[in-house]
Amino acid sequence: MEDLKHLILLMIGILIAFTVVMTMVAYTVLAERRILGFIQGRLGPNRVGPGGFLQPIADLLKFIFKEDIVPDKSTRFVFFLAPTVATTAALMTIVVYPFGPAVHIPFITEPVQLVIARFDVALLYVLSITSVGVYGIALAGWSSNNKYSLMGGLRASAQMISYELALGLGLIGVILQSGTLDLYSIVEQQAGYFGFSGWNVFWVQPLGFIIYMIAAIAETNRVPFDLPEAETELVAGFHTEYSAMKFALFFMAEYVNMFTVSMLATTLFLGGWNGPFVHQLPWLGVFYFLGKVVMFLFFYIWLRGTLPRFRFDQLMDFGWKFLVPAAIINIVLTATMQWSGAFDYVGKFIRTQTGWGG
Amino acid sequence: MLALLFILFAGLAVGCAISMVAQRNPLYSAISLIGVFISLACLYVTLAAPFIAAVQVIVYAGAIMVLVVFVIMLLNVEEEERKPLRLRFLVPIAIGMAGVLFAETAFIIFFVRESPGTPVRNISDVGLTASIGSGLFTTYLLPFEVTSILLLMAVVGAMTLARRGGLLPDTAGVVPGDQVFSKELLDRSKPGDLSAVATHSTDEAARLLGVDEFRGSSGDE
Repeated sequence: MEDLKHLILLMIGILIAFTVVMTMVAYTVLAERRILGFIQGRLGPNRVGPGGFLQPIADLLKFIFKEDIVPDKSTRFVFFLAPTVATTAALMTIVVYPFGPAVHIPFITEPVQLVIARFDVALLYVLSITSVGVYGIALAGWSSNNKYSLMGGLRASAQMISYELALGLGLIGVILQSGTLDLYSIVEQQAGYFGFSGWNVFWVQPLGFIIYMIAAIAETNRVPFDLPEAETELVAGFHTEYSAMKFALFFMAEYVNMFTVSMLATTLFLGGWNGPFVHQLPWLGVFYFLGKVVMFLFFYIWLRGTLPRFRFDQLMDFGWKFLVPAAIINIVLTATMQWSGAFDYVGKFIRTQTGWGG
Repeated sequence: MLALLFILFAGLAVGCAISMVAQRNPLYSAISLIGVFISLACLYVTLAAPFIAAVQVIVYAGAIMVLVVFVIMLLNVEEEERKPLRLRFLVPIAIGMAGVLFAETAFIIFFVRESPGTPVRNISDVGLTASIGSGLFTTYLLPFEVTSILLLMAVVGAMTLARRGGLLPDTAGVVPGDQVFSKELLDRSKPGDLSAVATHSTDEAARLLGVDEFRGSSGDE
C-alpha cells in the first residue's frame, strides 16, 4: 500500500515536471524567435494569437501533419532510433533536479520535497545521461546516408566528447566544496543570509561557473559552438534528412538540453530555489528556481543574436588547451582552500563582521 | 518487485549480448553492446551500488563506446560478408566450454547457496560514493595510484605510436583545412620515408614531395 502510494506520487510528480518543462521549452522557442527579431530589428512571429502567443501550438500541429520522409538508402532502424535516443536522454535528467524546498500539499500530512528522485549519485546520473545523449546525434548523422549529415554527426560527437571533459572537471570544484553528489543537499547548503550569500558562484566558484557555462553551451551545440549544424557549410548538419515529427524531436531535444543544463547551473552555482523569503513562503522557491533558469535561457538567446560561429580548429584548441587546464587550476585552488580551512575562516569572518551566514 | 526488475534487465542484457555477437553490421553490434552496458548499470542499481552504475554508463556506454561508434562511422566499415567458417573445429570445443560454464552455474545455484556460508555484512552504505571515495584514498591508495599510472602509460604510449614520424617541423605553417601527407603515405614502395608536407590536395602533395606517380593505398591491395 505504501509502495503504491509512493509510486502514484512519483508518477504525478513526473507528469507535472514534464508538463512544466515542455511548456516552458515550447515558449522558449517562441521567445527566441521574438527576441532574435527584436535584436535584428524586425518583428518575429506575432500573428497566431495575441502577440504570437499560440505560435508553439501552430508549430506543433504543423510538425505532426507534415509528410515524414525517410531517405531510400538510409539505415532505417538506426534512422528511427536516433531521434528517440536524443529526446529520451534529454528528458531523463529532469527527475533529479530539486524544483523547490519541502512544501505542504493538501491531503498529505508530512511536507513534500519538490524533487522527483533524490539519490546519492544524482550529479553523476546527470553526467552519465548527458554522455549517452551523444549517440542520438552521431547515429542520426551516420544513418542518413548523406555526406552533410555524416560530417555534422562526426563534428557533433567530437565536440561533445571534448567539452564533456571540461564540463565534468568544472563541476568538481562544487563537489569538493559541498562534499556530496546529492543535488538537494547541495542546494540546501547554499541557503545563507537572505537566501543570497551562500550561492556557490560567490563562494570561490566563479571560475568553475564560467567554465561550466562555456562547456554547457558547447554541449548543447548552440551559438557560438553550433558547428554540427553550421548552415553555411553543412546545410543543416546531422538532421539534414529528417523531416516532420522526427525533426521536431531533435529540435525538442536541443531545447530540453538547454533547459536541463540551465537547471544544473542554477542548482549548483546559483543556489537553486534559494532566495529572499523562501523560509516563510516555500512555494516562492519554485518561482525563484524557474526564474533563474529563464534567465539562463535568455542568456542563450542573447548569445545567439550576438556572436559569430567558431572555426572547428579554434573550437578544439579552446576546449582542450584553455578550458581543461583552467578547470584543473580551479580544482587545485578549491582543494587547497578546502584543505587549509580557508573557506571556514572566511565564512566565520563574514558571519562575525556582518551577521551573514554562509 | 526487485526480482521483476532483475528479470527485465538481465533478459535485456542477455538479449543485447546475443544480438551483439550475431549482428553482421558492426554498428548494430556496437549499439547492442551499449544496450548490454546500460542494462548492467540498471542491475547495479538494484544491487544498491549506484556509484558503480553511474560510472559504468559514463565510462563504458558514454566514453569508450562513443569512440567505437566514431571509428566505425569514420572508416565507414561495411557489413561483414557471410563467409564459410574457418576454424570450424572450434565449434564443438566452444559448445563443451559452454556446457562446463552452465554446469558451474548450476552447481553454485543448487549447492553453494544452500550452505550456511558467511553471514552477510550490513552493506547499506558500501555502494555509496562517500564510502567508495574514502576507501580509494585511504586503504586502497597504492593500488589506485598504480592503476592510474598504468592508464597514464597507456595514454602516453598511444600518443607516441600515433605520432610516429610523418610530422612537420614546428616552423611549417599549416593553414586550417590542410592535410598532412608523408612520402610513405603517397608511395607505398618507400616505407619509412616520413618527409612530409601540409597542403590541400593529394596531387599537390605528390608534386611537392616529388612523387611522380600517385600510388596510394587503393591501387596496390
